[in-house]
Amino acid sequence: MKKLDIHSSSIPGIAGSCLLIALCFCFCDLMAQKKTVKDTAKKTTVTADTTATPVLPKKSYIKNTFDGNYIIDNQTVMVPIKGTFEFDIQHRFGTVDNGLRDLFGIFANATMKLGFSYTPINNLQVGFDATNEKMEVDFNLKWAILKQTKDGSMPVSITYFGNAMANTQANSVALIYVTTGDRFAYFNQIIIARKFTDKLSLQISPSYSHFNDLQGYLNAAGNPMPIFNNDNFSISASGKYQISEGMALIANYDQPLTQNPADNPHPNLSFGIEMRTSGHDFEIFIGNYSSLMPENNAFFNQNNYRKGQFLVGFDIARLWNF
Amino acid sequence: MKRKLILVGSVLSVCIMSFAFTIIQQPKPWPAPEKDAKTPNPVKSNAESISAGKALWSLHCASCHGKKGLGDGSKAAQLKTTPQDMTLASFQTQSDGSIYYKINAGRDDMPSFKKKIPDAEDVWNLVNYVRTFKK
Repeated sequence: MKKLDIHSSSIPGIAGSCLLIALCFCFCDLMAQKKTVKDTAKKTTVTADTTATPVLPKKSYIKNTFDGNYIIDNQTVMVPIKGTFEFDIQHRFGTVDNGLRDLFGIFANATMKLGFSYTPINNLQVGFDATNEKMEVDFNLKWAILKQTKDGSMPVSITYFGNAMANTQANSVALIYVTTGDRFAYFNQIIIARKFTDKLSLQISPSYSHFNDLQGYLNAAGNPMPIFNNDNFSISASGKYQISEGMALIANYDQPLTQNPADNPHPNLSFGIEMRTSGHDFEIFIGNYSSLMPENNAFFNQNNYRKGQFLVGFDIARLWNF
Repeated sequence: MKRKLILVGSVLSVCIMSFAFTIIQQPKPWPAPEKDAKTPNPVKSNAESISAGKALWSLHCASCHGKKGLGDGSKAAQLKTTPQDMTLASFQTQSDGSIYYKINAGRDDMPSFKKKIPDAEDVWNLVNYVRTFKK
């Protein structure tokens, strides 16, 4: 349901401004963190000319809180090292309800996504994704604002993830977008994570999603009525437990918070295993979310874990370092 | 009797042919520049460092060099050069600085890890872990 222009544009505007201010404050702190490292790095270069013991940065960060960019349906707090190019292939199969008729959803219609991302500078990644669901594409940005330090001076890592997504399907009788802006949706998330031990890492991620235009209906008086709110707040909790050097158990719980006039989204419960090598990250899991764009899941998930509506999915990432 | 002679002759021929086509690969010398070889290790070898090094080893190195540095990783057979046995004195007698240099520089099948492991501390942790292979 398309809302009045003044309303639909003001909420993301205010939220965007607040986010920008928050990020500016955090940016100052990150610069301070980086300065310490840079200063020490200079000292390292100077001392490397002689054979004196190299001086390492005093402040060192916790590594590998998570293994890759994704933990099932969520982004992790991790931003790859500078110069990393990542190619993602993701699948979500059908729900397991039909049993052997479609081999527990494996031969049902699958949602697929291809993703490309690059880290041009330290702590900042930019990406592009395309999915077969409604032919949606997005541009996204991920920024490591703060990093957990070994000395405990910074107890958590904090990362921002956001995207702008567009439905690229052609207009039809069933799909009418009046303006290009109607096709857009946005997702913003702050990810807060801590590596508790070498084996256990946990993160919590509040998020805000906004669709410019959503489906509605006409009531008896012929007035347009909304089904969904255009804005949605959700919260996710994710965890990883390392069971061997190359393998970990992973789990997510996602809870939409905003109540809609109808069709409230269901929460998502998912768990699986993750395997990592030097250039790959592979996850296979079962869960309730069937979409591959985070705002779609937050708004529209109708798979209910209480009814056993789980589906199998996998994420594959191939990484190159340039 | 004749069949036995043919059988023995065939086996011997196969053995001779096998040896004839075997190329005994000696590892090419790989000296580190003197300045790098003399660079002392700034990271103390303790449980924390070895644990961090082990994690990096499993992720980046074990597939070729093997879990215990014997050169028997799952990818080793596909390489043009056989990975060295790191448990031997011929490897372990080199300095920490030499090992650090080789991890960063790479050569032939051994890629440079300068970009994959950009932090010096991590590379030194890896050097400390490699030292635990010594027999």
